[in-house]
Amino acid sequence: MSTSAIVVAIIAFALGALLALLTIPVLVWLERRIAGLVQDRIGPNRTNIFGFRLGGVVQSFADVVKLLLKEEYYPSHIKSGKWLFMLAPVITFVAALLAFMAIPFADTMIIDGESLRVSALPIDFGVFWYLAISAIGVLGVIFGGWLSHNKYSILGAARAGSMVISYELPLGLSILAFIITYDTIDFNAMVQYQSGTFFGFLPAWGILVQPLAAIILIVSLFAETNRNPFTVAEGESEIVAGFMTEYTAMKFAMYFMGEYVAMNTASAVIITMIFGGYQIPWVSTEMLLENFSVFAISIMIAMPIVVAVLIRWMRKNNRVRPTLSTDGGRDFETKVLTIAMLGMTFLVEAILIYLAFLTDNALANNIAITLFQIVVFVVKLMIFNMFFILIRWTVPRFRYDQVQKLGWYYLLPLALLNIFVTALVVVGVSS
Amino acid sequence: MSQNIKVTQRHGDNFKDKLYLPAIYDGVKVTFKHLFNNVNDINAVDTLRYPEEQPTDITSRYRGLHRLTHRPDDTIACVACFMCATACPSNCIFIEATPREDGHDEKMPKSFFIDTLECVYCGYCVEACPCDAIRMDTGIFSLTGNKREDFVLDKEKLLSHKGAFGEEISCARD
Repeated sequence: MSTSAIVVAIIAFALGALLALLTIPVLVWLERRIAGLVQDRIGPNRTNIFGFRLGGVVQSFADVVKLLLKEEYYPSHIKSGKWLFMLAPVITFVAALLAFMAIPFADTMIIDGESLRVSALPIDFGVFWYLAISAIGVLGVIFGGWLSHNKYSILGAARAGSMVISYELPLGLSILAFIITYDTIDFNAMVQYQSGTFFGFLPAWGILVQPLAAIILIVSLFAETNRNPFTVAEGESEIVAGFMTEYTAMKFAMYFMGEYVAMNTASAVIITMIFGGYQIPWVSTEMLLENFSVFAISIMIAMPIVVAVLIRWMRKNNRVRPTLSTDGGRDFETKVLTIAMLGMTFLVEAILIYLAFLTDNALANNIAITLFQIVVFVVKLMIFNMFFILIRWTVPRFRYDQVQKLGWYYLLPLALLNIFVTALVVVGVSS
Repeated sequence: MSQNIKVTQRHGDNFKDKLYLPAIYDGVKVTFKHLFNNVNDINAVDTLRYPEEQPTDITSRYRGLHRLTHRPDDTIACVACFMCATACPSNCIFIEATPREDGHDEKMPKSFFIDTLECVYCGYCVEACPCDAIRMDTGIFSLTGNKREDFVLDKEKLLSHKGAFGEEISCARD
């Protein structure tokens, strides 16, 4: 194993852990802010560190500190299986976290003839890994609900069990259709397939190649992450907090964070399988590497525009109403952030000018393109996470028998039909 | 009879409704419109930024924090008749009377305490007062303190509150 392989592996692992864990506070804050803005409220925007409020994202860190410092309370009526009661949230959390690790953040780097995967787990059976690990997550929910010895909890656990039998089959079958289409179980190869074109002009994204399977996949993944419109395992109006009723402090936080990690993982799987992953449409990694100067120039043109729009938006919105005399340090924050963004833009421009015109280092070009792909991946991930959140604040919930009906009467036959048609087309094309 | 029957059309039977997805698309369109408009201009959100922004819709009938009024010659209007303390349903007014020296009436309060932690802001004391000596027209809607004693208002404190709606002195006949 060469030095570069070790460096790439460590960086990819750190990136995977960061993307999975650091997005939790951001997602919790995004959820609350988007909920507010959808309902014409404001949402948390007050918490700050030395006047830096960053739109209020600091709030989540304050919440984590609060949950960490809360008393660890164990219900005294739980006599048997206390260890499993404590382990259950960990199962849910870890399963969601591990499932994320097989996602590629950028295309395989080729350094000195060695191909190095840019994903936390460098495996080529990512789809199976994801299906196997993410299915364990619901076990934590069922264990927790069962061992709480509480009627609400056990109802929540039973509903979680009913969910599993509703969505797992359509999920697996829709993924099977993708496996047949892409002819691979490797996430990275799937993304590479999607960087091609379809009918000559459309990007070969899964949503265009396999629209039916894509919709079934999205619906099933919404069900798997236990989010609206499929929040049946918990329901404040009927079963309190469901399986989480007896959980407090950090044990509760594990379930809570596990939900957001699962959402993040589902978003990552969706964008990797049907929205082209880390690629921008029509452009494959080879094209980027061959035409590096074109790539560099387009980034040099695009980045100042994006930053200018961002700064303009920040100057407009990081203000108090004109009737107020005090601005709570917002002007200062805007100034500092503007300088930081401009500085970053100049730095990136300088690096790109150096790479494009002054040197001809293939390794540096490769690293620049990998970084660009990671940025594209994160942007797509966040957009799809916001879609998840927007859906939650848009649609009402299904009853759990309705979810079963949806899964067995509609999604399962459609998925089977889709596999049949896909197989016919694939066989017909290849023969 | 038959013309009085209103037939309500059932929804959800046609293919479009059974698909769910067009309805979800319509819903997302609505929520996204709100989200986009509010992200585009956060100050358009109609939320009061308390405490930097104070409410402007407090009317003259609002029952705020109490005050004791003055007579035109700046003496206290209260004659320590105990009517407010008697009318008070939560027994939060404590008055101690003393003979009056300033030539208006026989009595005046030596001490006048209102325990605002007990007070329910019903306004019965204002209704009961024959001298228009106690009023709730300060417009003060929040009272803060660090200990319980801070919320027991004494005579000087109550006299120092100003009326917020123009009527400063007691309107009672001298």
